[in-house]
Amino acid sequence: MAFALRSAVAQAGRQAPLTSQLGLTASRSLHTSNRVEQAEPAQQAPVSQEAGVPITRRAQSGSLQLSLETPQNKAEYVLSTLDKVTNWARQGSMWPMTFGLACCAVEMMHMAAARYDQDRLGVVFRASPRQSDIMIVAGTLTNKMAPALRKVYDQMPEPRWVISMGSCANGGGYYHYSYSVVRGCDRIVPVDIYVPGCPPTAEALLYGMLQLQRKMRRSRKGVLWYRK
Amino acid sequence: MSLARTLRNMRRTGVKEWWRQLQYIGDAKSGALIGQDQFGNKYFENRNGEEEVPGRHRWVDFAQHDYNASQVPPEWHSWLQHIRKEAPTNDPVIQNLTPPWKAPYYENLTGTRGAYRPYNTVAPKINAWEPKTHART
Repeated sequence: MAFALRSAVAQAGRQAPLTSQLGLTASRSLHTSNRVEQAEPAQQAPVSQEAGVPITRRAQSGSLQLSLETPQNKAEYVLSTLDKVTNWARQGSMWPMTFGLACCAVEMMHMAAARYDQDRLGVVFRASPRQSDIMIVAGTLTNKMAPALRKVYDQMPEPRWVISMGSCANGGGYYHYSYSVVRGCDRIVPVDIYVPGCPPTAEALLYGMLQLQRKMRRSRKGVLWYRK
Repeated sequence: MSLARTLRNMRRTGVKEWWRQLQYIGDAKSGALIGQDQFGNKYFENRNGEEEVPGRHRWVDFAQHDYNASQVPPEWHSWLQHIRKEAPTNDPVIQNLTPPWKAPYYENLTGTRGAYRPYNTVAPKINAWEPKTHART
């Protein structure tokens, strides 16, 4: 089974079968500077929106994630149910570590304030890295701040997620060519969600939190452990 | 939010729909069905200020279990967020504004294999130093 799984993974990286259907950009394995020619779609299938099959489901066809989400025996059924319970508990109380570095932090505060009210999602700011499980890097990460950021990230308990908020944290942004700014906080910590904008609105950040919830819901750690 | 309102809306919509609303919207609402988009999402409106708080008088009932705000197509989004007054089903402006180059709408595919991956087309501005030494003669 392990061999079959591995070959499925190898095929999954190549090209999404979605390309011929909708003309979506297939996932590329590496970020390169050289433009890779997209393969021409073999046949132009007419776009049909069946009400039963959502596009996210079709986009995942043949992927390892879909295989993880469909249990194949009773043990996997139990484990995936346990995973779902874990995911539900995790996504219901996301406690972000506030790493407000610049003006993005103001928008992060707006997310906590009355209008976008993050508390209704169970998102509560926690000023201690040891008791939080998400870090929102909000703002320009300078070279001087980078060791502190890494130290705070290392102090957070597993499982932990990082949201990179704003252009500066995503890739340096306005200060990309500055001598004293890290060109993206993903050079320091692994990032789960990138929120674009300069600064992103509180609504965009909240949408990023919802996307992170989606990412948490996809986790099938128990099934992965069982299959290995 | 009151118990009387919840019971009234349960009587209006039926127990099954009421239970579904409590699971997905977290509130019991009742209103007129305005329309349905190509994905099967249903759009409702209740303009009675006594029954719904203004600002909560338009809502969407998502078709998918794993719902997401990006499942609302732009025409209906403009109605839902009060950018346009009329729903796209009876808005002549929206209906006549369908350019031929318009791509079919699909929801945010982040996290699936259809996710958007940007790529760079310019030469890299930062190059690693490659030490070159001439052989000593």
